[in-house]
Amino acid sequence: MPDMPAEHPNKAAFLARVREALGRTEPILHTPDHAPLKSNQTRQEEKVRTVLARVAARRSVLCERLADVAARASWNVHRAATSDRAAEVLADIADGLKARHVVRTAEDVFTRVDVDGALRREGISPAILAAGRARRRSELKPMAFRADLGIVGVAYAIAETASCAVIQRKGVARLASLAPPVLAVVVEAEQVLESLDDFFAVMRLEHQKRRSHWAPYFNFISGPSRTADIEQTLTIGVHGPGQVHLVLVG
Amino acid sequence: MAQVKSAQFKQASERAVHDPKLQHALAHVMDHFTTARASAIAADFEEESWESMRERAAAIKAHTIERLDYYLDLVDRSVRRNGGHVHFADNAQQASQMVLDIARANNVKTVIKSKSMVSEEMGINQILEKNGIEPVETDLGEYIIQLAGETPFHIIAPAMHKSRQDVSELFGRWLKTAPTEDITRLCVIARDALREKFAIADMGISGANFVVAETGTVCIVTNEGNGRMTTSAPRIHVAIAGMEKIVPAIEDLALFLRLLPRSATGQRITSYNSFISGPRNPSDEDGPEEFHLILVDNGRLNLLRDEILREALQCIRCGACLNHCPVYRNVGGHAYGWVYSGPIGAIVTPPMTGMEQAKDLPYASTLCGACRDVCPVKIDIPKLLLHLRHQAAEGDGKHGPVVGRLERAFIGRWRKAMRTRQAMESGARLARLFQGPFARGGRIRRAPLPMIGNWTKSRDLPALAKRSFVASWQERQARRAKGGEGR
Amino acid sequence: MRASLCATCLVDQFFPEVGEATVQVLEAQGVEVDVPAAQTCCGQVAFNGGFRTEAAEVARHFLDVFGDAERIVVPSGSCAAMVKVYYQELFADDPDTLDRAKAVGEKTHELTDYLVNVLGVSETGSSGEGLVTYHDSCHTLRELRLKSEPRTLIEGVQGVELQEMEASDTCCGFGGLFSVKFPAISEAIMEQKLAHIAESGAGTVVATDCGCLMHLRGAMARRGLSIKAQHIAQLLAGGEAEGA
Repeated sequence: MPDMPAEHPNKAAFLARVREALGRTEPILHTPDHAPLKSNQTRQEEKVRTVLARVAARRSVLCERLADVAARASWNVHRAATSDRAAEVLADIADGLKARHVVRTAEDVFTRVDVDGALRREGISPAILAAGRARRRSELKPMAFRADLGIVGVAYAIAETASCAVIQRKGVARLASLAPPVLAVVVEAEQVLESLDDFFAVMRLEHQKRRSHWAPYFNFISGPSRTADIEQTLTIGVHGPGQVHLVLVG
Repeated sequence: MAQVKSAQFKQASERAVHDPKLQHALAHVMDHFTTARASAIAADFEEESWESMRERAAAIKAHTIERLDYYLDLVDRSVRRNGGHVHFADNAQQASQMVLDIARANNVKTVIKSKSMVSEEMGINQILEKNGIEPVETDLGEYIIQLAGETPFHIIAPAMHKSRQDVSELFGRWLKTAPTEDITRLCVIARDALREKFAIADMGISGANFVVAETGTVCIVTNEGNGRMTTSAPRIHVAIAGMEKIVPAIEDLALFLRLLPRSATGQRITSYNSFISGPRNPSDEDGPEEFHLILVDNGRLNLLRDEILREALQCIRCGACLNHCPVYRNVGGHAYGWVYSGPIGAIVTPPMTGMEQAKDLPYASTLCGACRDVCPVKIDIPKLLLHLRHQAAEGDGKHGPVVGRLERAFIGRWRKAMRTRQAMESGARLARLFQGPFARGGRIRRAPLPMIGNWTKSRDLPALAKRSFVASWQERQARRAKGGEGR
Repeated sequence: MRASLCATCLVDQFFPEVGEATVQVLEAQGVEVDVPAAQTCCGQVAFNGGFRTEAAEVARHFLDVFGDAERIVVPSGSCAAMVKVYYQELFADDPDTLDRAKAVGEKTHELTDYLVNVLGVSETGSSGEGLVTYHDSCHTLRELRLKSEPRTLIEGVQGVELQEMEASDTCCGFGGLFSVKFPAISEAIMEQKLAHIAESGAGTVVATDCGCLMHLRGAMARRGLSIKAQHIAQLLAGGEAEGA
């Protein structure tokens, strides 16, 4: 648990003014009647169990949907039947780019998808974007900015919106999926959820189980970086990757 | 606080209407937005299910606003539990001071910013500059208007009024790049220039599309990736949010993330959604070490206090009301004179900045209601505009009326004429005498009179009929009764 | 079937021919029409201007005049919306009047609403000729949600073909006081509407509101356009009671 910063000196007066504007004098002491707030861990577990059972029963349909929605959102979608095949696909992407600097995150998926081996066979040695004995944290940013290709795993993928949900933690740097001009995301079939609702329900339960503070950062990547700010003309690849690959394993 | 020029709405809107370049941009972009929105919704939802989503979203926002003190407290406790700092700013000046204090305490030289409308209210860029800190907007549109020294033209397309030539010229002047009409090339120029800033900036300032009370999470919705950059690359992240941006629970986001991008850009989802709940954990690889959330009032209490206007605080800033408003579509954003434009701007500007200087805005609408039909949180915009007009005409209990003498006199006359049928007929008789010299063939082409003269500038006015319908009817009925003669 | 006609102040003073046409259409359906002699205005002008005291005074007069009517028919979507929708805002703090306003609102109908939804009529037995395009008057469409009713009736006129214009549901730029407070914006919006009307190729544009029609007619006359702007009652009456 991080240290808890102090309360802002203006808070009490600020809240009092808000209360007064609402025509009340007393604060509300009990959790308001809003269903999602009231679901305790037991109930949330039950909810998530239902979600996961549904998702498991519909896995192949959801993988199809993810691939379909992703393709329409400008992802390059690659279906790989096995982890070995996925590693080859990633190597092919790097090879096609003539990539010299490849960074990746250190997610579990890469213990099954041997991307390092496949890349080395192409003569590329990928670097894990993580601080450690050999690398100071301050070196990560320049490294990420220099990379030609970023390869990351996900916590979940959401079929509804083709969103790849990446949760920051040790070994999972934010910049790996943001700074390089090309991004490849590896998703395993078991990680596919159906909807945004599924995802937030699962996240909430994970938090309840952890009994700690909320994950400081997670994000959805749902397509290439894009802008239409000049003459409403769609342009791909402004600050983030302009080319995005979704490698769906299984 | 950003300068308020809403008192010049009339002159500014007339200039805008006669500005061919601006009209060209508006005609092009507005249709693009409305078409994209309609097809994005139709692709995934039946009309009824979209409608029920809007109803749920409106209910959740109304629930939150009615209990805002509770949820503000919950936000505060959640963010601090995650290790973030929370600040409460009564007004723009206080909020700016908080930003400055954080920057000074950390010896910050360069600040990168992703889109934040509240920071526009604060005019934070000028304040930072004055204090020797370089602010850099990173949303491409915001970057362009920062270079141009302007304010956003549209809430989600801030530089939509700039042509590629304008952008090329701005980049030439500020970045010394060669002129080009290739939009992709222009984007690359901006990317390269901003990459340098991402590499060196010590502090990132972002807005917040949603603040989740239960978890202390700030949700940011972007397409370019600048929002992720701003909240990931620097050491310090400061999020600035209007105090009404709260949703109660993390699971509420599913609904709002379906409504917002479809209503705004017509996308199923934007390319990026970031969910920031605090500073990074010590073991994390990157991300800011310090996280601050500044919750800002700056006039929002004036909306909250009014039971009818309160509804405007449900706004999620999608811009759909602008895109569908016949007035906005013809005058654009700058005419409104402050940070928020279009129908929602016409509602929030008077209570947030003072009715006197913004009194034209509630009247700058035909009350056609197109905005209400597309609002993802079902704000009854015409009702709120009418409420503000009522305050403008009759005062709001604290402030006196601000509507001009001419209209007051007109309505006074009208009232006298409409109180009884006799008064109406004699008023009409008088008007028929007056219209005599102007009417030709049942039409009036020119009437050198206040108000009516505004009509006849571009339109003929029908002359009053020789006899009113009701009078003719009565005569006929009388004849019928007397002679039994049929019609 | 009996109905009291609220002519509206615009029809009463500027477009009596629309009142005649409305009576003709209703009587052709066997409706016994009366026109209360004391009627003046619904109060919308003042209400939209923010002058609620004045609006309430005139609205009370309306309630007095029409309170006992069996049904009230109005050849205007915006006046009907004023009575049905906005009287409830106007009298929100006056419970007694509010009850009366609600009762009157319930029996008040815009003309096409009355014909289609009360009488169950889809053809009025009238005839005309050529292409007709329909402009959705804002309050008819978005306060009263009448979209198919006027179209059904137009399609039921013999010899007439309904030709939709682009953006038929976009405002014409009238907006009452708006048109004289912000003439430049009003004109700009109107120009787009005129272009859409012209592009439809129709010889006649029909609407349910004399506000829009006054605006469109005035603009077209000034520009020398030969397209006819007609109230729907005039089309449904068989084109005999035409306006300018």
